[in-house]
Amino acid sequence: MIRVLAFVFTLFLLPFTTMASDAQGLYLTLRSKVLTVKDYTADVRVLIDVSYMQIPTLEGMLYYKAPDKVKMVRKDGISMLPRKNISLTLGSLIPSGGVTVLDAGTATIKGHNLRILKVIPDDDKTGIVLTRIWVDEGELLAYRTETTTRDEGTVVLDLEYGSYARYALPDKVSITMDVKEYKLPKGATMDYSEAPGTPKKPVAAGGKNEKGRIDITYLSYKVNKGLSDSIFADKDK
Amino acid sequence: MIRLLLIELYKIFRRPRTYISFGVVTATSLIFQLAMKAGGREFFEFGMQDISEQFNIQGNIINGYLVAYLILQSLLIQIPLLVALVAGDALAGEANGGTLRLILTRPVSRTRLVMIKFMASSIYTIMLIVWLAVMALFLSLLVFGDGDMINLKSETFILLLKHDVMWRYACAFGFACLAMTTIASLSMLLSAFADNSIGPIIATMGIVVVFTILSNLELPLFTAINPYLFTSHMVGWKGFFDADVPYRAIGKSAMVLFLYTSGFLAATILYFNKKDITS
Repeated sequence: MIRVLAFVFTLFLLPFTTMASDAQGLYLTLRSKVLTVKDYTADVRVLIDVSYMQIPTLEGMLYYKAPDKVKMVRKDGISMLPRKNISLTLGSLIPSGGVTVLDAGTATIKGHNLRILKVIPDDDKTGIVLTRIWVDEGELLAYRTETTTRDEGTVVLDLEYGSYARYALPDKVSITMDVKEYKLPKGATMDYSEAPGTPKKPVAAGGKNEKGRIDITYLSYKVNKGLSDSIFADKDK
Repeated sequence: MIRLLLIELYKIFRRPRTYISFGVVTATSLIFQLAMKAGGREFFEFGMQDISEQFNIQGNIINGYLVAYLILQSLLIQIPLLVALVAGDALAGEANGGTLRLILTRPVSRTRLVMIKFMASSIYTIMLIVWLAVMALFLSLLVFGDGDMINLKSETFILLLKHDVMWRYACAFGFACLAMTTIASLSMLLSAFADNSIGPIIATMGIVVVFTILSNLELPLFTAINPYLFTSHMVGWKGFFDADVPYRAIGKSAMVLFLYTSGFLAATILYFNKKDITS
């Protein structure tokens, strides 16, 4: 009887352990593909869509060096990128080191049938609590990641691929992230009011955070050509 | 008419006090530029704390365009005083010096005299704004270089590309000339009431300070009168530094300032024509 019960129990658990093992394998394969890119230089076009920001499309050069160095340079201009921990590279949003990977089903995004992986890092040094990755198993590409960080909310990356898919480098990344509100005293800024005397719009209830979106279009890449650390030094400070 | 205008301009630029204004603009600009050179980045980052926490901003942030904007902002209250120094003296100075009656014995109508003095004051005002442009903008560009310009409003963060900034300054200085001409006309009106120039200068400053406070207080009691205060419209030059310039609102502000200027000038002419000149 015990043998029968053990057999039935094993039979019941087997698919789950196999799925977890498959998910782990898929994740590790994807991660190793992503990590083949040691550095790149890319011509980029950045569009920042945050309710309190009025910023035109910024064109410049984006430098990346594994594991987490990112810098955008615009000739004689100002560049803006999200802070380090909510970085815009897939490499820094996929947890490194020991992880637990769970299969979380399937989904279809833009015609791609994708597997959803839940990745929980064994340690939280990176600040990442949980990452969900939507992976195309055939192409071995992540089309969406949703990373929950300890201090900086949730960051969603939607990725589109083109000619650099073999490096898992996207042609376009759309980042959706939590942004805190911004306010300065009107007495200090002495704003010009378009309609003096008009009552201000009431602030929406429900917290001080809102969603911001950043679209980065990669126009061209130079991959693994070797980049010096000095490029990432902040010369303006 | 032109000869009379040249005589008025000669009188203005013959007085040492006229050059105090140019000296103040020069000194303020140089002090500000020195301070920004020494610790501008830290000063500006304090204002950008909320943004810097979330975004890594790199590049020549403290550039000539930004420094010029900060100088203009800091001179918002001082420039009307400098305009009043000359415009407030236009009629009252003559009365105080005992020359007003002498002038009016000449075949020049009182209306024409007021118009000529107003035009001379306006030319002085425009020259002061041009000097401000030289010191605040062009010198800052020379010292700090150019680049994209950040404009921090109370609830909006604006980034303007460097090739998109210079025309905004041209428009802003043009608007500032209009706004300061309104101050000149107010000073002229007050000058017509007085027999010494200190009164109109102080009265002009008093009105500007009180109205500026009222324009910036967002209390229900004052918001009703805000649209009617010329000080609410004097900062219209800042509208040119919005990403999408609110042309309609700026046009409305320009119209309000023009009406105030015309009103002050008309009141000056009306009063001056009826005034009993005893000095």
